Amino acid sequence: MNFFKCGILLAVAVSQGLAAETLFSNWTFKVAPGSKTGKLYVFSRGDVASGITEVTLKPTAHGITAEKSKQISVGDSMTAVHDGIFRDSWAERRRTPSATAGELGLVLPMYAADKSGSFQDPSGFFSVRSAERVVETPLDPPSFADDLDSAMIYASTGFAYDSASKSLWVARGAAGVTHYDISGGPNHPEATDYILNKKEAKLEKIPTGKHYSYKKSKNASILSVAVHPKTGDLWLATEKGLWIYDGKSAQSLKAIDTTKRVTGIWMGGKPFQMIAEVSKPEKDGVQGSLWRSTDGNKFKKVVFLDTTGKAQKKDVFANSSYTVSDIAFLGNKAFIAVSSTGGNESGYLLLDSAGIRAWETDEDDGSQWLNGFERGVTDRDVGITSITAFPLTSKIMGLAVSTYGNGISVSADSGATWTPILNRAKLSNNLGSIRMVPSVITEVGVQSLVSYKVGKPSKITIEVFSYDMRKVRKIVKDAPREADNSRSTYPKEDFWDGLDDHGRPCTMGIYYVRVKDNHGNVGWGKVMTMGGR
Amino acid sequence: MKHLLNAALSTILALAAASQVYAIERKASLGGFDGFVERMGAGTREMGRGNTGTADTASQPGAYWNPAILGFRENTNYTLNADKRDLDRMGGNAGIETKVGNRMGVGFAMLYRGDLAFDVVNEDDETVGTATPYFTMMYLGFAYRATRRDAFGLSLSMSYDNLDISEHMEGYEVVDDYRSPVTINLGWLRQWNNNWSTSVVIRNLSFSENLSAKWDRNTSTDNTLPSTEGVRPKILQIGLGYRSHVMGKPVYAWMEAIDYQVADTLLAFDPQLHVWTGRVGFECDIIEGGTVRVGMDDLDFTFGLGYKFNVRIGQKKYLFDVNYALLYESEAGLWNPLSFGLRGFFP
Repeated sequence: MNFFKCGILLAVAVSQGLAAETLFSNWTFKVAPGSKTGKLYVFSRGDVASGITEVTLKPTAHGITAEKSKQISVGDSMTAVHDGIFRDSWAERRRTPSATAGELGLVLPMYAADKSGSFQDPSGFFSVRSAERVVETPLDPPSFADDLDSAMIYASTGFAYDSASKSLWVARGAAGVTHYDISGGPNHPEATDYILNKKEAKLEKIPTGKHYSYKKSKNASILSVAVHPKTGDLWLATEKGLWIYDGKSAQSLKAIDTTKRVTGIWMGGKPFQMIAEVSKPEKDGVQGSLWRSTDGNKFKKVVFLDTTGKAQKKDVFANSSYTVSDIAFLGNKAFIAVSSTGGNESGYLLLDSAGIRAWETDEDDGSQWLNGFERGVTDRDVGITSITAFPLTSKIMGLAVSTYGNGISVSADSGATWTPILNRAKLSNNLGSIRMVPSVITEVGVQSLVSYKVGKPSKITIEVFSYDMRKVRKIVKDAPREADNSRSTYPKEDFWDGLDDHGRPCTMGIYYVRVKDNHGNVGWGKVMTMGGR
Repeated sequence: MKHLLNAALSTILALAAASQVYAIERKASLGGFDGFVERMGAGTREMGRGNTGTADTASQPGAYWNPAILGFRENTNYTLNADKRDLDRMGGNAGIETKVGNRMGVGFAMLYRGDLAFDVVNEDDETVGTATPYFTMMYLGFAYRATRRDAFGLSLSMSYDNLDISEHMEGYEVVDDYRSPVTINLGWLRQWNNNWSTSVVIRNLSFSENLSAKWDRNTSTDNTLPSTEGVRPKILQIGLGYRSHVMGKPVYAWMEAIDYQVADTLLAFDPQLHVWTGRVGFECDIIEGGTVRVGMDDLDFTFGLGYKFNVRIGQKKYLFDVNYALLYESEAGLWNPLSFGLRGFFP
């Protein structure tokens, strides 16, 4: 373990060339509290490289503004978001776990590219000490790694930090759990691997340098971890129920059936509550459920309520293969970010003392419980990848969500209103410049945002023309838009998806987008579509 | 002449009205289909008179306008044209054609359209590069003059497009180059007398199912993007030409009715699957060798000037014809005053 004692401190150089205006990239996968009040960490994975942004946020009368941001690349050979984040059928691998871990800073999983070039080789974790320094912290693969079907079986799927003992616990699937002790300082860590022996009800220490004989009948994968803030016990979400480790022995918690695959455990809130996710891939898709306890002894299945508070037989899991991306606790409420397989449907569920409440009358698709684009959490129809609560000011706890392609959204009023924060190029006023973002529609369904700015309230008409100046699409006509210092675009309407007025995909080629206001200003943008069929 | 002008005006209004009516009802927008290079015409001379050219034996390049025109060639001709349009659009075309034997002609044409400055903007709102995409069509035409007044022609055409974006597309292995399969265009032209001529051109027939010019495009080399489809509408283009004199000056009137079948079927009789447009143009030789032109292509207005002159080189006189055209794209509200062309004739 000298390997770990020494550690490999690798401060990756800031890649200013890749750094964008506000965020490292608008493709964000994780939000977490920053190093100080008002700061937020955002992990982005762009087309080429991944990076961390620490953005400083300030609430204003018109929402929340990003005052400044610092970014650091983690390079193009490692990332915290593996390639199967959306398509993996195992719930614990469809999220990007993190923990704020004392002197280690923010910890995130770390993946290298495997032989096929996919980022699916679990290699340890990133320790984000600050927005200027990220340390790559390798963890050895288990001695029985060759006996496993894939390396992802020992991916880091949960982190928990015990501030009393200055120890980080890393849930590593079949490889058990790694105890990363930094009581001697973050540069002199002591790492010890344990594996759950369910037969003998104990966490077995894996002897260094010796082959451990992993058996499914004896061992159980550890999928997530949490440290109880009052008792200091380590709670283990495993493929065979919930277990509690008090430092000596591990006990199975009978409140949740040991046959159940518990894929996540989260703790927090006032009053204190614990939420567990049970999830397993079945023939009809992922079958999931949420369980809650306030005392740690009794777990009850979370009920889904309609708008009148009446419990429903069907819940959100009945409609799609949802899994939990993250949970944020704010007072007596829990904001549970969920995402379906493929990431097509996502949002957060609002859990209060009674259950998860619907925000609209019953829909067959379960969308009545999902807070997302339709509820104004995002201003574009993009996936929500994580959620966090963080101290926005000394008096306000903020909420933030990361999104797939639209930066982050932040709320200063417990989710009532949201402000999107993302990379935006500067625009000339009064339609002086029109930018299509992105300017290439790679396939049908990709939305290219029409970005423009007007100096006074205007009625905007947006039309798309072919190269030979035949009108193919009217996007909006005389739509009221407000003056804005940044841009006046209304993302819910002001986009082109490559279709003509009749819903037919326009053929491959270059198209010209005209934006007119009612003050005589006209601007043109350009967009290319790869076509459809 | 008054009747002619009235008829022309009525035709313009009727075509404009028809175009508007079907703009509301049709189920697909013509602009969203392949073939804009073809729709935009070729030749500055022809552009000045509303992009009319199928019923005029002097139109160039004949392989594009109506391959039957090549049957009326008496010598070797060539043409070079270029135009710069608003929004960085650059276009041009070239053609060469010649007589073969007593009754046949052959010609080649190439049409080009491109954009000189297309900014590739990624999802992070960063401009990652500037591309210069271009789109071309090539025509190889043959004609046979069946009688002194009639000729029939056939041209083979194909497109080559280059999007020029692949080097800027991070995360995708995007394909830049696309070729269409060969399509067939058929033409007939009859010179009824010294005054009247008519033409019929059928464009974009293919050996594929339903005789449709339809093909697949693999947009990425690593299959990260779905393949897409190209469909070029079948076109029926009927032209009419009239020549006369007004106040001793030669005048010409040209009209074309065009039907685009915006459906991938052999024949569609549903009017909602057709887009009808028209073109009309007038010319007057106001001075010796000098011509003024006006026209309308669908709802776009055109204006043109031309001048013919001879240059003696050695014992031979070489005829040249220089042309200028202005185009107002009315739906988009864009003026395009920069179109120049040269036609040359070998004696």
